[in-house]
Amino acid sequence: MDKVDGTEHYNFKAPADVATLQVIILDTNPLAWATFEKSSSLSFPSALSQLLIFANAHLAFSQSNRCAVIANHIDGVHFLSPADPGTDHSDPGEADLTPEDLKEIANQNASKYRVFRLLEDEVRASYRRLIANTTPEAVMDCPNSSYLAGALSAALTYINRICFGGTGGRSSGVPGDEKSKVNSAGGKVDETGRTMHAKILVVSVTPDPANQYIPVMNSIFAAQRLKVPIDVCKLRDATVFLQQAADATGGVYMEPEHPQGLLQYLMVGFLPDHLARQSLILPTKVDVDFRAACFCHKKVLDIGFVCSVCLSIFCEPPEGAVCSTCQVKLDVTSLENIGKPVVLPPKKKKKKKALDSLPESGVASAADSPAPTE
Amino acid sequence: MADSDEDFVLSSSGDDRPKARGAVGGGGGAAGSSSRRSTRKSKRADGAPAPGATRREKWEDIQRSWDNVVEGADGSIAGTVIGLLEATKRKRLLRDTTPIQRGIIRHLVLILDLSSAMLEKDLRPTRFLLTLRYARDFVTEYFEQNPISQLSIIGMHDGLALRISDMGGNPADHLTALQEKAFTVEPKGASSLQNALEMGRAELFHTPTHGTREILLIFGALSSSDPGDIHDTINSLVEDRIQVRIVGLAAQVAVCRELVTKTNDGDDSAYGVILDEGHYRELMMAATTPPVTKTEEKSVPSLLMMGFPSRTVEKHESFCSCHSNLTKGGYICPRCTAKVCFLPTECPCCGLTLILSTHLARSYHHLFPLKNWIEVPWSQAHTSTHCWSCQSPFPTNQSQSSPTKIKIRKQSTTAATASNGTATAPEKDQQPPLPPTQRYACTDCKTHFCIDCDIFAHESLHNCPGCQSLSEERIKARANLWPATTGDGTADAAGEPASSMRTQVAEATKMLEKSKIAPGSSMEVDN
Repeated sequence: MDKVDGTEHYNFKAPADVATLQVIILDTNPLAWATFEKSSSLSFPSALSQLLIFANAHLAFSQSNRCAVIANHIDGVHFLSPADPGTDHSDPGEADLTPEDLKEIANQNASKYRVFRLLEDEVRASYRRLIANTTPEAVMDCPNSSYLAGALSAALTYINRICFGGTGGRSSGVPGDEKSKVNSAGGKVDETGRTMHAKILVVSVTPDPANQYIPVMNSIFAAQRLKVPIDVCKLRDATVFLQQAADATGGVYMEPEHPQGLLQYLMVGFLPDHLARQSLILPTKVDVDFRAACFCHKKVLDIGFVCSVCLSIFCEPPEGAVCSTCQVKLDVTSLENIGKPVVLPPKKKKKKKALDSLPESGVASAADSPAPTE
Repeated sequence: MADSDEDFVLSSSGDDRPKARGAVGGGGGAAGSSSRRSTRKSKRADGAPAPGATRREKWEDIQRSWDNVVEGADGSIAGTVIGLLEATKRKRLLRDTTPIQRGIIRHLVLILDLSSAMLEKDLRPTRFLLTLRYARDFVTEYFEQNPISQLSIIGMHDGLALRISDMGGNPADHLTALQEKAFTVEPKGASSLQNALEMGRAELFHTPTHGTREILLIFGALSSSDPGDIHDTINSLVEDRIQVRIVGLAAQVAVCRELVTKTNDGDDSAYGVILDEGHYRELMMAATTPPVTKTEEKSVPSLLMMGFPSRTVEKHESFCSCHSNLTKGGYICPRCTAKVCFLPTECPCCGLTLILSTHLARSYHHLFPLKNWIEVPWSQAHTSTHCWSCQSPFPTNQSQSSPTKIKIRKQSTTAATASNGTATAPEKDQQPPLPPTQRYACTDCKTHFCIDCDIFAHESLHNCPGCQSLSEERIKARANLWPATTGDGTADAAGEPASSMRTQVAEATKMLEKSKIAPGSSMEVDN
């Protein structure tokens, strides 16, 4: 509440370090977008236009703000902006145009803010190159493929380069060292070697890549370490991975109800930078599903059994008390102790009661029969 | 500090050695040669184990950094300097990456020296303040790396063992305990190894068998005042299979080495004496990585029962069962429905371990480490012009692209050195050392990365951005067509599509058409 009355306004820090890098990870799977368009009447070109308006709005906030766009395509991850320095930057779309058309476009763009135009042109040209290199056969081969882990990894390494000068957000820890440090970007740094703030926006239409659980989680923890929030705009198929990503990193998770108005959601939900977010109530999802799925039956669990060597989760003690992941013989006798209350009731009568209550929680059965045969 | 630098005389007798680089402590000169091994307690053992032994101490081999510097082709040492910088950066990275069993569930006692030796100012601002600062970092890092582990902190103060925080899994508790107890204590008196170790042993006594039992000792003093025989303590530590790591702040101490060797099955690599502040931190942070499980250890793997609670949001505040604080929302234990405000923890009512599945996921990178990347030779360097993931440009081979320019420079340098009589070798035979390519390749996907991405991927990310973001076809294309310019391997779709496939392909073509955007389309949104 004391934020509202404005007392904080006076000890507000000088807004020297408000520059933010916005990395947008965009699903470009044509099949997923085609399916999505049927249900929501939001086509990819229109979505891209709205995203570019959002990116421009971000760039308009500060001269030093920057933006990068990464495509999560069917055959992997591609940087749309900044485009790969190694490739040719020709725009395949421009080949069909007559010189008159080009002139027309140039006239249209003449009064546009240069930074906006550069970003737009680069993203659109890169995207056209990407689609030109994609064959229909490739689309059919991998209808739901998503390289979420790779896209997040690429985004984080890029952020590490731009915002942290490659230091990985870790100061050397030696006193007096970081004060004199000026990183490769030449800017002022804070105690973690950071010159800019960063945030990631994931616009996703593909389902969770189930085989990438560990890499995705690794990326989430790296983002947490760099204090980079991962915002998620989930247009189709609710996902657990991205929910956890947004929750763990303090980002916004949204599933737009009316995807045609994507721009509205982007502007209201995702545009505020880290300073503005401190004083806003973010429209994020509060109840996140944290329950784990067991490795044996894929059941969602409240209480499970965990192998102490490889941390695999089981819904019941595995057969023969051998972990199915790491093939280690497990000691199940200790489970007897875990079920018991911390303080043992001294009286006999009470002890009986405690024993009676045990079978409900499934502990007694686990302790009595180490290898249940179902 | 009995010895001072003035006493130091370089003699040819076997035991006197030049000033130890590791010894940052005030003295650091040679110790008395005859009485060195006579006292068992905490005498400085800065000599080799026995005269004539083959093992040499690290500081005996003097390395001069300027010996490694070689002039490049253009007469500058810039290339070598970059190479050296990258070598030091990479040094910490290159470790064994075969997936090995590690003790993921750990129980560690951190023993801090709070004796008068910690008032020394050889580490800025003082040993004491720096140690407390690093201890805080250590607690944070330890729980980040080992979310389902436990920690306890003990201080060695005035000949006694001082309990700073109890065994627990909440980093915030340890940090406040450090703030409240350790900071208010002025370093005083002698340190007592035995008292501290016995207290640590008592703390670890009740820990379950499936977890590790470890002690990390920060030892600033060079002596220890013990009430009994420390060798008995060492033996009981070995019996209780407690592993001890020691970071020495002054110089090597014989009893510490013995302690580490005996508790680690004859391996004394867990005992390190610091060189400077950075090295101190490095040694301390090395203990945050879970230790490798040794086969002879008696630790029994077991199945643990754990609860995965769900988060609740309440309209009104209620007391949490762990701290009795009023909180809005928290986590509900799935067995006894008690509310706790912090995870991971043990349910205060029913004793069930409560964790999030993300805590388990945090430890996976210890079990499945990322492979080391290899340095790319110049012969393959031409395939990339920039780092794949952070887009920063790589250097190109100057000596190949502009040979004439180099030659001119070369002649001028030979002319300059001719007076010394060194430039006798013919020009062509003298192969100047090439500057490093500054490219590092993942062995699986053959993608080239820069040094910073290499370090970031191995230390923080634990993913290879290349492997995760290239389809198998693209990886194959990179491997086969090594000098490929771009990774568009999807173009060569093998095999004729079957007749039923054709219609699908036609549909897909339509979708592709839809996904295309008109050239030069303006910013206006349709709706």
